[in-house]
Amino acid sequence: MIEVKNLQKSFGDLHILKGITTTIEKGEKVVVVGPSGSGKSTFLRCLNRLEQPTGGTIIFEGEDLTKMSEKRLYEVRERMGMVFQHFHLFPHLTIRRNLTLAPTKLGIMSKEEADRSAAAMLEKVGLADKADAYPSQLSGGQKQRIAIARALVMNPDVMLFDEPTSALDPEMVGEVLALMKQLADEGMTMVVVTHEMGFAREVASRVLFMESGRIMEENEPEAFFTNPENPRLREFLSKVL
Amino acid sequence: MHLTDKLYDTFIVDDRWKYLASGLKTTLIITFFAVIIGMVLGFLIAIIRATADRTGKLKIPNLLCKLYLTVIRGTPVMVQLLIIYYVIFASVRIDKTFVGILAFGLNSAAYVAEIVRSGIMSIDSGQFEAGACLGLNYRRTMLYIILPQAFKNILPALANECIVLLKETSVAGYIALEDLTKGGDIIRSLTYEAFLPLIAVALIYLILVITLSRLVTLLERRLQKSDRG
Repeated sequence: MIEVKNLQKSFGDLHILKGITTTIEKGEKVVVVGPSGSGKSTFLRCLNRLEQPTGGTIIFEGEDLTKMSEKRLYEVRERMGMVFQHFHLFPHLTIRRNLTLAPTKLGIMSKEEADRSAAAMLEKVGLADKADAYPSQLSGGQKQRIAIARALVMNPDVMLFDEPTSALDPEMVGEVLALMKQLADEGMTMVVVTHEMGFAREVASRVLFMESGRIMEENEPEAFFTNPENPRLREFLSKVL
Repeated sequence: MHLTDKLYDTFIVDDRWKYLASGLKTTLIITFFAVIIGMVLGFLIAIIRATADRTGKLKIPNLLCKLYLTVIRGTPVMVQLLIIYYVIFASVRIDKTFVGILAFGLNSAAYVAEIVRSGIMSIDSGQFEAGACLGLNYRRTMLYIILPQAFKNILPALANECIVLLKETSVAGYIALEDLTKGGDIIRSLTYEAFLPLIAVALIYLILVITLSRLVTLLERRLQKSDRG
């Protein structure tokens, strides 16, 4: 579904991604871990071209994302949901409108369809009673669940998560991870950048370890955590586990 | 002379209050349309400036906008008014009210533009990204996500600009436009009595400004609904 070949990204002289090559298959749950500054968020943000790669290719469903026109890019992004560390809900809109804004303005759904779809999605994330509330009235965990619902309303083929629980109070991490696990069980293709090793171990079909702009090791979670080969990964795991 | 006689002499004789009434009407007309020009043009300039800063596009329009802002904000509004009337429209007979609207509108646009631009800049870039990730292009994200939030944040500053504009129109008399201030001045020249007409003019401005401020407070309160929590 997503084929990344020799992906490079530099900010001026700063070389963040030094050639990433990996393929994400439909239905896979890829979890990316690594120390901060390793380029894992940049990698994720290149996947939907929030960051313009400086080299390499990203083939998403047969099209090269790095070279397509902006117009086409926005169409492709409709099929890639993204969840941010800091939620980025639209504070001036009600929760319902947060969910329906994109599908209605893009002409994908009528207002009625979008409202129905939003209601179903709020039901799914367990926040049906918040439809008329504003983001400022929600807790962090609720905001992140709404952010996930907002992405899901677009009915994406893949969901990208950029440290979705890093900005949450500890007691709210669980509800967000539970929702992500539910999504994973339903077969959603997911790429998750996170520090939650428990989630990686339990949900991932494959774990990537990134360090200084490269993928140092990738493996299925059992082997990844119990039998790490790369010494940097061993060091990393000894610190975080 | 008693105060009542003075009042009578200033406002009642020969229907002199009509100078104030028609002056007020002119002031309100100029302010109203100048605000519209200022807002429309100001938002346009601000969007061009912010887009250029964020995406690196629109380089030439951005340069023109910068030039416009520098010139307009670097010269007094009265000089601009005089130039528009005596230089630009020197050879055509033209409605002075229109000249006033144009001059004050073009002037206000520069200040509105900077207010709006600061409003756009104050919105977290994550909002642009969230829009983009939902497939909303730059224009749609700007229109539905950024501008509504920016507008709410800058509302007090915009209202202040309207109030400043209303008061600035008092120099319109320099091109012999009979606005509120000029109206009071005409009465003064008729009665040789400065106190009453000028105080009356000041009072009317004050009432207008207070009313405007009240309206803005009401609007702000309405817009703040999404901030409870």
